[in-house]
Amino acid sequence: MVSAEKQRELIRRFRAIVGEDGILTQPEDLAVYECDGYVIEKKTPDVVLFPTERDQIVAIVQACRELEVPYIPRGAGTSLAGGCLPVGGGVVIALTRMRKILEVNLRNRYAIVEPGCVNVHLTQHLAGSGFHYAPDPSSQGACTLGGNVATNSGGPHTLKYGVTVNHVLGLEVVLPNGSVVELGGVAEDAPGYDLTGLFVGSEGTFGICTKVMVRLTRDPAACRTMLGVFENVQDATHCISGIISAGIVPAALEMMDQGIVEALEAAFQFGFPLDAGAVLLIEVDGLEAAVDSEAQHIIEICNARGAREMRWAETAAERQLLWKCRKQAFGAIGRLSSSFCTQDGVVPRTKLPEILNFISECEKRHQLRIVNVFHAGDGNIHPILLFDERDETQIQHVLAASHEILQKCLDLGGSVTGEHGIGVEKLDFMPRLFSETDLAIMSDIRKVFNPDGLCSPNKMLPTAGACGMEEIPRDHPGRRAAL
Amino acid sequence: MVNCYNMTSTSQPIRPTSSAELQKQIRENYVGSRRPIHIRGGGTGASAGYLQDDPSAIVLTTTGLSRVIDYPKDDMTITIEAGLTIAELTGTLVRHRQQLPIDVPVPEQATIGGVVAANISGSRRFGYGTMRDYLIGIIAVDVQGQQFSAGGRVVKNVAGYDLCKLMIGSLGTLAVISQVTLKLKPVSESTGILWATFETLDDIDVVLETLLLSSARPVALDVLNARAAQTIVTGAELKQLPTEQPVLAITVDGLSAEVDWQLESLRKELAVFMPTVCLPIVNDDQRQKLQSAITQFSQQQSAVLALKANLPPSATLDWMAYADEEGLALLSHAGNGIVKGRFPVEPTEYSRAIEILGRLRAKARQYRGNVVVDTCPHTWRQKLPMFGDPEPSWSLMRKIKQQLDPDDLLNRGMFNEFRLPALRNSDGVTS
Ligand SMILES: Cc1cc2nc3c(=O)[nH]c(=O)nc-3n(C[C@H](O)[C@H](O)[C@H](O)COP(=O)(O)OP(=O)(O)OC[C@H]3O[C@@H](n4cnc5c(N)ncnc54)[C@H](O)[C@@H]3O)c2cc1C
Repeated sequence: MVSAEKQRELIRRFRAIVGEDGILTQPEDLAVYECDGYVIEKKTPDVVLFPTERDQIVAIVQACRELEVPYIPRGAGTSLAGGCLPVGGGVVIALTRMRKILEVNLRNRYAIVEPGCVNVHLTQHLAGSGFHYAPDPSSQGACTLGGNVATNSGGPHTLKYGVTVNHVLGLEVVLPNGSVVELGGVAEDAPGYDLTGLFVGSEGTFGICTKVMVRLTRDPAACRTMLGVFENVQDATHCISGIISAGIVPAALEMMDQGIVEALEAAFQFGFPLDAGAVLLIEVDGLEAAVDSEAQHIIEICNARGAREMRWAETAAERQLLWKCRKQAFGAIGRLSSSFCTQDGVVPRTKLPEILNFISECEKRHQLRIVNVFHAGDGNIHPILLFDERDETQIQHVLAASHEILQKCLDLGGSVTGEHGIGVEKLDFMPRLFSETDLAIMSDIRKVFNPDGLCSPNKMLPTAGACGMEEIPRDHPGRRAAL
Repeated sequence: MVNCYNMTSTSQPIRPTSSAELQKQIRENYVGSRRPIHIRGGGTGASAGYLQDDPSAIVLTTTGLSRVIDYPKDDMTITIEAGLTIAELTGTLVRHRQQLPIDVPVPEQATIGGVVAANISGSRRFGYGTMRDYLIGIIAVDVQGQQFSAGGRVVKNVAGYDLCKLMIGSLGTLAVISQVTLKLKPVSESTGILWATFETLDDIDVVLETLLLSSARPVALDVLNARAAQTIVTGAELKQLPTEQPVLAITVDGLSAEVDWQLESLRKELAVFMPTVCLPIVNDDQRQKLQSAITQFSQQQSAVLALKANLPPSATLDWMAYADEEGLALLSHAGNGIVKGRFPVEPTEYSRAIEILGRLRAKARQYRGNVVVDTCPHTWRQKLPMFGDPEPSWSLMRKIKQQLDPDDLLNRGMFNEFRLPALRNSDGVTS
């Protein structure tokens, strides 16, 4: 929290930059920005700003530097790892008013957008052009391209098409020293180090991205969407390994267990089988000449691995509904529980049966309910732990179970995050994943971009921000309580 | 990868055979004499041979680090040491019908570490991308002999900064890569190439524009001027292919039926533009020879001066037409805006080279592109601007180099242009 005097000075300067309309200072307004999709930890910022152009961001960053106030960029706030938590207070720079699609160039297969552009708005804008922007996080109806860049988001179709970093050609960034720099560009292979690739996934700790240049992908000519129905989770996960090891890369391969299917059925009445232990949502795409034989091959594998039934989406509308169900699965969980914690871990794909077994043991051990909906083809699990926020013991069990599951992912040769990021939530796992040298080198790299550590302090690395900068104590160090 | 002929050094190369040995040797150098280290993979010189002659330098060869560490084939990933050659890697993968779909010249010699460091790519980058789409984990040793890692062994992972991306294309200037983990792709059942010649490069440009919405999904869109076509066809020993005119070579792959269908559709789509010749190449042996000759093009040791232009795809053929008049043999991965150009004979004089380069760069600049020098005579290297015009982002690159290798020991001279000011900084002199 900054001193009252400093805050007055800050507000005076920020008003001059973004105007009365672009600033929030009242406690009731600020409360909205005290957390993101990771609700276990909260901290109210001192000020929230809504710049509408890059030069305002430059001025804001310069003011923060002069007054030595920490600041943090924020997109739609859908991060599930506390990436937007303003640790130590300070300034939240909300980019939601910078949402223009600046250029679409089909001949050169790129689009340039402002950071606050919502992922699905780009998709809609491109509809009918023959091209699309491939990364499609389930939160695409809300999340922003700037947030996607910062977290290197994935989505169901990233199995075949790659995650955000595979589709970003270049960036414009306001660096923490207040300068503006373009990384990469619309021509591929700019000389020198791949700073675009390095910036993607840096979770807001390298500066504020003000323009994103993305690669556009040709729409597939045809696709087939199938639903594999399985008696139990084990059969379904064995089937996933079978598909991948047969050398098939479907466009998407998602798993939903019985708990999720129940919630979805209640919400959408799709006609999901309520007694099935798990369903696989499988999509293949490509040329008409190939999709049927690829789909057939998958059906054979599913049947051989114990599928009870295989269904097809017969029409485009049916396919859309299936995808709507998948992408709104998190929303539907509200029907199961008032509070839930979505975890994000990765295992080698052949280890899916093992990790799901473990999750189910955890469920019993901690007397919790855990449901699963996840990007199975990538080995990227999302166990969702349901709980009652009012019950402190349950919260402790949720934290402990999450921790055990993530540790198991590591033991199986995986990672503690496939797409949601480290944020503040998983800081304590970093020393388990990386050696002291690894972390020191990462910290050296952060110093290059963010030497004073004011930009997104206490994120990603277990060391605060800059050399000599003490770790800022967190008010309610959520997950840490359990470690 | 670095041209070995550039690396004169008085001492025997060091050739560690384990990661521990590698760390030890680098550490001893660091605490001891702090000699510059020239890192050498297969010595194929597939990319810039920018290293200066330096008798004091130690040559470090990675070919002793060539084990397959882990190949969980059902996960479609592989972990290997950096000195493993591309041919050995391919041999291992092909048994399980898997591949790393990056086209690498001289695969028998080129090592995976070198391919990562030089960010080698070829025709199929249009359909399959480049190294940054496949490298999921890395272990490297810094200049002090400390081992560090980033990424991991799973295909999706966002824990920590993505140092894999930083190491790709870093030309050995930041650390010695000792081990990599790669994501793999299945080998397609069939591949075919359509070889179509047109009167002018301009004609091909129009074709490329319509191919954007083609019913086929090519994995490579290469354009060759007649000079390059001749070199390539001679290399492939496919005398029946015409080479008098510019060529559009389109590669498709997939199931056999899919390949046949695509070649036929493309033939029809191209017919509208009246190619002088339009030949499908489906015979596996011929097709492989042709692909390998195309990949080999950028690797001809005879070139006095070899360049690489990077442009927005729409400007590629215009730039090629311009460069064609300067006498270059040109191969472009036109869907990606990458052009590889070589002077078969000329220029032999520095003054002429710098003049031509200036013109080619000015032309590329018009389109927000750039031209990088890939190979040039040793004596030109010090004076010739290798990387084109300075960009504001270079200052960040300098700082990264300075953080990781403050004494500039690793592959000194490789990124000369953004090295010098950084060094001055560290000496307390402003740049
Ligand atoms: C229901 C639901 C489903 C989800 N599904 C997926 C999924 O399928 N795949 C997936 O990957 N994620 C998923 N997520 C997580 C989340 O949506 C993604 O991480 C998304 O990219 C965040 O975008 P955002 O705009 O909300 O960013 P925010 O949450 O606002 O910010 C995320 C991080 O990015 C930084 N940041 C934001 N904008 C910028 C900028 N312009 N410059 C620099 N840093 C910036 C922030 O500081 C923060 O660290 C899901 C979340 C929810 C709630």
